[in-house]
Amino acid sequence: MIEGEADCLVQQSPGSCPRGGGNWGRRLLGRVAATERLGSMVRLALHVPGWRGARAGQFALLQPEPSRCFLARAFSVCDEAGETVSFLIAPVGEGTRELSSLSVGAGVWVLGPLGNGFDVDGLVRSLDRTVVVAGGVGLAPFPLLLAQMAVHCRDLYPHPAGAGPGTATAAGPEVLVLLGFRDLEQARGAEVMRQAAKRAEGAGLRLTLEIATEDGSHGNAGRVTDLLEDHLRSGDRLAVCGPELMASAVWQVCSRIPRVQVWFNLEGNMACGVGSCHGCVVKMADGSYARVCHEGPVFSGSEVFGG
Amino acid sequence: MADYLSSTAPGGSAPTPDLSVQLGPLRLEHPLINASGTMEIFELAETFGPDILQRPPVAAYVPKTVTLQPRAGNPPPRILETAGGMINSVGLPGEGLEAFIRNDLPRVLALPCPVILSVGGFSLGEYVSLAGGLREALDRSVYKDWTARAGLELNVSCPNVHSGCASIGADPGETEAVVRAVRSVWPGLLVVKLTPNVADIAQVGQAAEAAGADALCAVNSYKGLVIDRRTLKPYLGNVVGGLSGPAIKPLALRAVYDLFERVKVPVIGVGGVGAVEDVLDFMACGAKVVAVGSCAFGDPYVACSLREELSKALCDRGLSAAEVVGYAHFRG
Repeated sequence: MIEGEADCLVQQSPGSCPRGGGNWGRRLLGRVAATERLGSMVRLALHVPGWRGARAGQFALLQPEPSRCFLARAFSVCDEAGETVSFLIAPVGEGTRELSSLSVGAGVWVLGPLGNGFDVDGLVRSLDRTVVVAGGVGLAPFPLLLAQMAVHCRDLYPHPAGAGPGTATAAGPEVLVLLGFRDLEQARGAEVMRQAAKRAEGAGLRLTLEIATEDGSHGNAGRVTDLLEDHLRSGDRLAVCGPELMASAVWQVCSRIPRVQVWFNLEGNMACGVGSCHGCVVKMADGSYARVCHEGPVFSGSEVFGG
Repeated sequence: MADYLSSTAPGGSAPTPDLSVQLGPLRLEHPLINASGTMEIFELAETFGPDILQRPPVAAYVPKTVTLQPRAGNPPPRILETAGGMINSVGLPGEGLEAFIRNDLPRVLALPCPVILSVGGFSLGEYVSLAGGLREALDRSVYKDWTARAGLELNVSCPNVHSGCASIGADPGETEAVVRAVRSVWPGLLVVKLTPNVADIAQVGQAAEAAGADALCAVNSYKGLVIDRRTLKPYLGNVVGGLSGPAIKPLALRAVYDLFERVKVPVIGVGGVGAVEDVLDFMACGAKVVAVGSCAFGDPYVACSLREELSKALCDRGLSAAEVVGYAHFRG
């Protein structure tokens, strides 16, 4: 709890406003701690006093202070260390361009973490392999997933005698990371994942990373689903994030292999991020609409595609 | 631009102003409420914890509009940011009256602030069934004097449904008939939420007043449309949507101003309220209560901040909240 902390810039007001619960539920004013351009993407690290840790797959609403935009934009939490939280941004519109051009020290309103996130514990407890499949900036939620899997892995599967951190052991689950990009420029974003993979390996996760680019300029030539076809095996558990077409192609590949479980981290154009506006719905397999922000953003494959 | 905070107080210094408002039988601690459909307080509690239920940021909670039958709402995409605001075509999704009475009404009534239940129908009969159903449920509840706790808002103005609702609210005669019929079954506060998509909103407001409305809420969103730049087709799943946010504020102010001139019942002002200056603008035009809508997206507690800033702004000017209401109309 950071209430009363001198540098806490959270909007606080007396009277009926919540105080006892600290700043939880109020948007927080963070500051840009670092920015890093990675090809066509930007990694934005914010120092957010009052930030409560996210579960991998959760997101936050971000809006620069001041901003030319009316609505905050939703971004997966890419990684975090205490109150420093990073996001991966592909500048494609007004809001994302504004955020990706901020300088160190600039103010950013942060509401989050929001949504459900991945069942990290379930992935680690399973003895089956976890396969991460991401397209483009869809890799954003996975550095945190690897970090949290590594922590759970260490708790659940202590290293055998003599095999300390830094030694991959056969005890923990195996993770295969498959990343797909359009071209080399976009593939530079993979650096975020390489760093996270290295740290997770150091923590004892058995990890393999493969990259495909559609134009063949980096890694394997082709789509990420081509990599998936080559590698997918029965029993795999998939964590997927990327464009809609990629998601349905992943589901098609998976439907051909028995005993594969899939979770999709979906995207939706949203206003509130907390279930109030009903703007970000996606159609589920049963015909109902689910709010990406509140019921998701992580949905099981059968919820989204049926079967 | 009006700059209240730097002006000299005309009435000298004043103690902390009393912000409380009497809206029919409901006593509001301050004049800031939410616009229906922009705040799901129980979802917020699920995300952020139950604190918000014990100390809601709004003086009265207005749940999402309830329809008689369950509705899935409109197909996505449902929202898009526009210049100075946003457009939505959500289309009143919900579980319907029966599920609302069973699942939501008890917890809504348990909130520590008054509630204004919002209903939307597709015919006069549906509005009567909705009001009657809620009345019966409230009569059966443990709250014997529920009229001091719960009011009703007739949403006759949703731009995102294809029949009923806004087409009723666009016609003074139909509005009058619906309000009169509901008035006969609803003993509590009766608010009519008006559509701005008419030539003369005050004429509809007068019809609602004549039929027994206790208050009018102006405005619901403005009908609009956005084009998908890639396909050059309408972007929203429902083609047409409702425009809200700062872009509509001057339009909404004008609606409130006109209503204040031509009706006697209190007006709830809404449309692009995100800062204390907006609250004062609406109050000056004649709004006794001010609702925050899409400006609360991204900051669920904005009404809290506005309440505090309003208190300070009134102090600085030496005016009470009641004195500001309609200030723009007074000559001299």
